[in-house]
Amino acid sequence: MPPFDKTQHPKPFKQRKSFAIRKHEVAGIRTKFPTKVPVIIERYQREQYLPTLDKTKFLVPQELTMTQFVTILRNRMTLMPSQAFYLLLHNKGIASMSLTMAQVYKEYRDEDGFLYMTYASQEMFGQCLNLTQGSFSAGGAGDFSGTKRFLYN
Amino acid sequence: MDAATLTYDTLRFGEFEDFPETSEPVWILGKQFSALTEKDEILSDIASRLWFTYRKNFPPIGGTGPTSDTGWGCMLRCGQMILGEALVHRHLGRDWRWVSGQRQREEYSSILNAFIDKKDSYYSIHQIAQMGVGEGKSIGQWYGPNTVAQVLKKLAVFDSWSRMAVHVAMDNTVVIEEIKKLCMPWLDFDGAGCSEGAVGGAGVGARELNGCLGGACALAEEEMALWRPLVLLIPLRLGLTDINEAYIETLKQCFMLPQSLGVIGGKPNSAHYFIGFVGEELIYLDPHTTQPAVEPSEDSQVPDDSYHCQHPPCRMHICELDPSIAAGFFCRTEDDFDDWCAHIRKLSCCKGGLPMFELVDSQPSHLVSADVLNLTPDFSDSDRLERFFDSEDEEFEILSL
Repeated sequence: MPPFDKTQHPKPFKQRKSFAIRKHEVAGIRTKFPTKVPVIIERYQREQYLPTLDKTKFLVPQELTMTQFVTILRNRMTLMPSQAFYLLLHNKGIASMSLTMAQVYKEYRDEDGFLYMTYASQEMFGQCLNLTQGSFSAGGAGDFSGTKRFLYN
Repeated sequence: MDAATLTYDTLRFGEFEDFPETSEPVWILGKQFSALTEKDEILSDIASRLWFTYRKNFPPIGGTGPTSDTGWGCMLRCGQMILGEALVHRHLGRDWRWVSGQRQREEYSSILNAFIDKKDSYYSIHQIAQMGVGEGKSIGQWYGPNTVAQVLKKLAVFDSWSRMAVHVAMDNTVVIEEIKKLCMPWLDFDGAGCSEGAVGGAGVGARELNGCLGGACALAEEEMALWRPLVLLIPLRLGLTDINEAYIETLKQCFMLPQSLGVIGGKPNSAHYFIGFVGEELIYLDPHTTQPAVEPSEDSQVPDDSYHCQHPPCRMHICELDPSIAAGFFCRTEDDFDDWCAHIRKLSCCKGGLPMFELVDSQPSHLVSADVLNLTPDFSDSDRLERFFDSEDEEFEILSL
């Protein structure tokens, strides 16, 4: 596995603030901005390819669609169109991209009033050293070049 | 469910275990079989798929690079398998069968030659590894399903024999208009704004293809003058650490569509090419076996036994699947594609599963407009971003339209 980047993983937002504080915060901001949806955007803890956003808390216009929101985040991170980027709701799955933020908020918001989203790219696949292999061919498992694998993994 | 008598461990290590005797239907790349009465047909169908594995002692990649892909090439090999399946559909048809030792059709040899481990085959490990550099992957680095999909899309442009259009649908969204433009580039889509590169890269693809097609309409095959055969790859993330169970039924449905090319993905770290399912188990071809590289003989016949999986295929519980996958589909004609769209629409209306991706007619106009979306490499749109992010209180980032 590529080395783990430990520097960019503060505690998740939910663990940094108590339920009461979070709920209070939402109530306050909703009064101030009734047409905007309070969203927490966090990078997946094991994400290794996408950059970290400098903000976690967003107030998003409720009429924005998921597609538009993803586009804004992609631009923010200056991702190429061919780079994988997924915004997962509440660790559940991906909302339909044509839904508006208001619709998504209604369905997936947390008890504290925030809408939680986690972003991630895709996992990469390569062989672990100690995995047993099917080795019925002449080559087989004994034929690994261990040094090479360390070099390339 | 009979299949459930297998334990976790035998699934992982009993790779050559016989196919289960179960009354549940077996689905392989859009075809349904009975495990009770059609076992030979199942095994023959699976043996007919192209099986690409790790190889050793091939010419060094890039002249001085690795001579084996053991340990790093598994996703690249899965990419070869899904594209190989597309070429089989394209040139031989889904019902074509391979028989060991039999002299094969010429198209078959051409397909196999496109994957031989040398630098000038269309889709060799050499080509895939080197094209990956453009996707930020140095030679020998691990790929994800999207990485290999992006690379295959680029390589397919040079395959003037197959002339397939490879489309990679990003952001869980398949845009019908994009695909029609790609597969029928000679038609004038006078649409409101196929503006430069704005639509997720497909615009770029279409332009490249226009450039290299030249007199495409003069091609011999009449079919080709109507529609370039489509390979549709949809990279997805069906959860963070584990697959969200709500997607499992939809995933199974993918293997039941006649256009199915299967799914590339894997278990954590190990890439597999999934070709179907039985009960709660996925059926897959596993690239994790190192075989010696094969040299084509004088008459360009490739000794091909090692390119077919002649033992019962591997199986694993669907819940073991890593959430990062790419699903593949092949649409030979426009009708095939329209039929696929109809299937997908029908699936997304039924209950019992969460759609894995969305099918839309066209990209919403506000996104096609280059005014909002600037995806050119220089990202000189900081001004526009300021408009989106125009005010900030001390903690919240406030987005405005």
